[in-house]
Amino acid sequence: MSAAASFGWGALYGLGASLVIAVAALFGVWAERKVAARIQMRYGPLEAGPFGLLQTLADTIKLVLKEDVTPNSADVPVFRIMPFLVFVPCAAALVVVPFAAGWTPFGIEAGALFFLAVPGMSVLGILLAGWSSRNTYASIGGVRAAAQMVSYELPRSLSVLALCLLAGSLDPGVIRAEWSWWWLPLMAIGFVVYFIASIAELNRGPFDLPEAESELVAGYFADYSGIRWAIFMMAEYGGLVAASLFGAGVFFGGGFGLPGPVGAVVFVALAVAMTICMVWAKWTFPRLRPDQLMSFAWKVLTPMALGQLALVGLVLPWL
Amino acid sequence: MAVTRQQDKATVPDRTPTSVRLAISATDDFSPGLKGFAERVRSLVVGLGITARRSVSRPVTLKYPAEKVELSPRWRGALRLTGVLGREDVALIEGPASDYNGLIDDLYRHDRLPPCVGNCPANVDARGQSFLLADDRAAEAYELVRARNILPGVLGRICHHPCESACKRTYYDEPIAIRPLHRVAFERYAEHRAERVAPLPVTREERIAIIGSGPSGLAAAFDLMHAGFEVHVYEKEHAAGGALLSGVPAYRLPRDVLATEIADLQTMGMKLLTGVRIGTDVPIDHLIGEYDAVLIAAGLQVSRMLPVPGSDAQGIWGALDFLKAGNWKGGCGVKGRRVLVIGGGNVAVDCARVALRCGAAQVTLSSLESMDELPAHPWEIEEALDEGVIAMCSYGPKEVLVENGRVAGMRLQSCLSVFDAQGRFAPVFAEEFTDVPADVIVFAIGQAPQLAELVSGSDLVLTERGLLPVDGALMTTQVPGVFACGEVVTGPGSAIASVASGHEAATSIIRYLDGRSLSEGRVYRPVPVYPRYQPATLTGVEPARRRTVMPMAKGADRARDFRQVELGFTHLEGLAEAARCLRCASEVCVGCTFCARTCPDYAITVERIDDPGHRSVTRYDLDLSKCCFCGLCAEQCPTGALRHTGQYELSFYHRDFAVFDRHEMVRSPEGSRATGADCRGCGDAR
Repeated sequence: MSAAASFGWGALYGLGASLVIAVAALFGVWAERKVAARIQMRYGPLEAGPFGLLQTLADTIKLVLKEDVTPNSADVPVFRIMPFLVFVPCAAALVVVPFAAGWTPFGIEAGALFFLAVPGMSVLGILLAGWSSRNTYASIGGVRAAAQMVSYELPRSLSVLALCLLAGSLDPGVIRAEWSWWWLPLMAIGFVVYFIASIAELNRGPFDLPEAESELVAGYFADYSGIRWAIFMMAEYGGLVAASLFGAGVFFGGGFGLPGPVGAVVFVALAVAMTICMVWAKWTFPRLRPDQLMSFAWKVLTPMALGQLALVGLVLPWL
Repeated sequence: MAVTRQQDKATVPDRTPTSVRLAISATDDFSPGLKGFAERVRSLVVGLGITARRSVSRPVTLKYPAEKVELSPRWRGALRLTGVLGREDVALIEGPASDYNGLIDDLYRHDRLPPCVGNCPANVDARGQSFLLADDRAAEAYELVRARNILPGVLGRICHHPCESACKRTYYDEPIAIRPLHRVAFERYAEHRAERVAPLPVTREERIAIIGSGPSGLAAAFDLMHAGFEVHVYEKEHAAGGALLSGVPAYRLPRDVLATEIADLQTMGMKLLTGVRIGTDVPIDHLIGEYDAVLIAAGLQVSRMLPVPGSDAQGIWGALDFLKAGNWKGGCGVKGRRVLVIGGGNVAVDCARVALRCGAAQVTLSSLESMDELPAHPWEIEEALDEGVIAMCSYGPKEVLVENGRVAGMRLQSCLSVFDAQGRFAPVFAEEFTDVPADVIVFAIGQAPQLAELVSGSDLVLTERGLLPVDGALMTTQVPGVFACGEVVTGPGSAIASVASGHEAATSIIRYLDGRSLSEGRVYRPVPVYPRYQPATLTGVEPARRRTVMPMAKGADRARDFRQVELGFTHLEGLAEAARCLRCASEVCVGCTFCARTCPDYAITVERIDDPGHRSVTRYDLDLSKCCFCGLCAEQCPTGALRHTGQYELSFYHRDFAVFDRHEMVRSPEGSRATGADCRGCGDAR
């Protein structure tokens, strides 16, 4: 593939991923508000469109039209570019998700590694977003985010590694193809670790210390407004969707390995269910303390992921 | 500096903790090991289960606007209106004279007494007057006021209106013009006088004599006639009115107003015997023998004079004689002359203004007190200065300068201070003298009673200073059956205070003639002192909310004759002013909208109709979805109609009912209404 063709394909994938994330964020925010409302015995958005479906669209228009404020003492170029540095890795992660049997948008052999490594770059974006704001709250938020994301990277990677070991490949497409039903009980612990670590990676409740509004106003994006703030939000929901889709694709064999349209429907339903569970967890559990956060990552999740890896290693010779 | 810091270090104990223990939350209280792990997992699952159950249950909050009108029949809400204008009329404070003070006292104890009524010495129902006037029921308003303030037309012009000082509306913008409204009521009563003033039935055999036809005597006469007695009023002058006639200048009180109101009393049955001087023409013993009770309401007849050198010269006047001459004869020999008035009270100001009107070339008012301490009412001083009176404050009279037996001027001494630290009268003078040339000097430094002639030949004994010993509460004298009221008892004071003492004396006389104990169960005239509100800031207050300005004649024009200074309100101005009344403490919502203005969340909507005769609150909505339950609306409600209910705290859990309207808010907590069984479409009482 020539460089020009590669660049062209990349741009196309990027556009597609951005569109998917934009739509996912539109409905994700609406769904989150609805679920949160029902959990709190409220109705949530009702007025804009049927069931308030157009509420997020109205919010988007509002956000786009709002003034793009840059703090006086901010490091302006860095401050301006950081939302994109957070968003792009999340969008990029989508291209290695095995959407259908034999079709991954950007099928590379080290796809799983790509999925785990590339979103990790958003740590840099978050850290610098907080730093460039020249705001104490934002800086604390950025540093917290960095520590948290680096810590939870490990159990998340280990849990996917067990899966790769089982499939004998780093290619998500292959993992999906190799999936069979008895992986479910075998990989149960790994899935739980993946699920929890994904929430922590996304800085969502109850692991939302970097943006804890009761402590840090809004954490690393406290000084962002308008469309740049919206891009941070989209990155969060993009990551949510990517983690759900990838989880459904590799841990559940993309809809339990069912063929054709049925499989596609089950695949999407699984991803939606995982997303809703993440929202459910956010609106159920209180926020952790930093010490609890760290000890949970290193003392609970990492040993669990290692145990899963050992379990897979134990059963591997009999396969 | 360094030294002190070290010392600080030495004395202040080090409170730094040696180890900091992290706060342990409930989530940390788990057993150690695997068991603890299982407990943690279980707690997570339980938590998820709780939120899952919540999410499938029915939401309890508002579904706007679909649920806006859905109201639980038992719902009473955080706030409650006890009454609404249009359904409940504002209660009028009226009662038989002998029980009136008990009524006032009871209202005061239950926090139901409006400040204007409480602050009035005679407890005139100013609130009821405003209510009736705004409802275009002027005749009833006049009669309501007359029940306690026998001469509404007169007092409506001359009263010093303590009611307005206490008016709660001062807190919001400006006080109600209660005194001018008395005058409006009087003027509107002219249409009804012929049909509404009728002789009162005489149901008792006893007859009562009243000596003096001033405000206190007339008030007592009115009460006694209502109790069914025959009342004879003796007046030494040839016209009734007492101090109102001789003392109050016509530019403040036109003669026909006083004459009209006294004629009303005569129509009701009061027998007026003028030109009879008790003590000389008829001995008081004769009255005591002839009548079942005698009331001395003679007032103060003589002016006090200063014992300074030259005070017997020609051209020296006492205030009362001067006023009488000016008022009655229309001249007191001051035309083209220079007049000096000594004194700083209201009488002194009256003297100065009368002197101007009698054609004095120059009128100077000299007082011991400084401008800020003058005992005269500030508005009177202002009016006098407008007319051209020269004020010389902080001067004490030293000596009258006499030339050929006539007054040539007065030597005044500078006064440094009038009152000592305890507020007692103790003037301090400087050795500085000023000579003021004057042809006439009027002493207006106080009045005294002249009772020696009156009581001669009876068992009544005067004190050394010529005063009649009277029980200040029961108005009794040393002789049973002889009572006293008015300024004989209270000393120089306001007309309305004299009226109040007249009512008290009448109560005592009724009890005496009934053979009851005078003091038993009697509540003395309570004049609660209400806090005086700081005047509200008037910036941004709509003109429609402001007090109606009393039109006045121009200073230069009015100073030449005895025409009225205050020109009075028109009919519409009167209606508008009366409608401003907030009906304090009535517990009936009048739609003043101050709750809506106070509400920080704009949750309250009030609408009312203000047409005379059809006044009502048409809408009272509280949008609970906006309400933050701060309670400021109920806190400031002047009428006390808006109340917190016992469900105030619970309201946080009942926000699903967004709006409650007037009918919901005024529903009583018990009875059939509270059960919600009625009032569905029956449309009653709306």
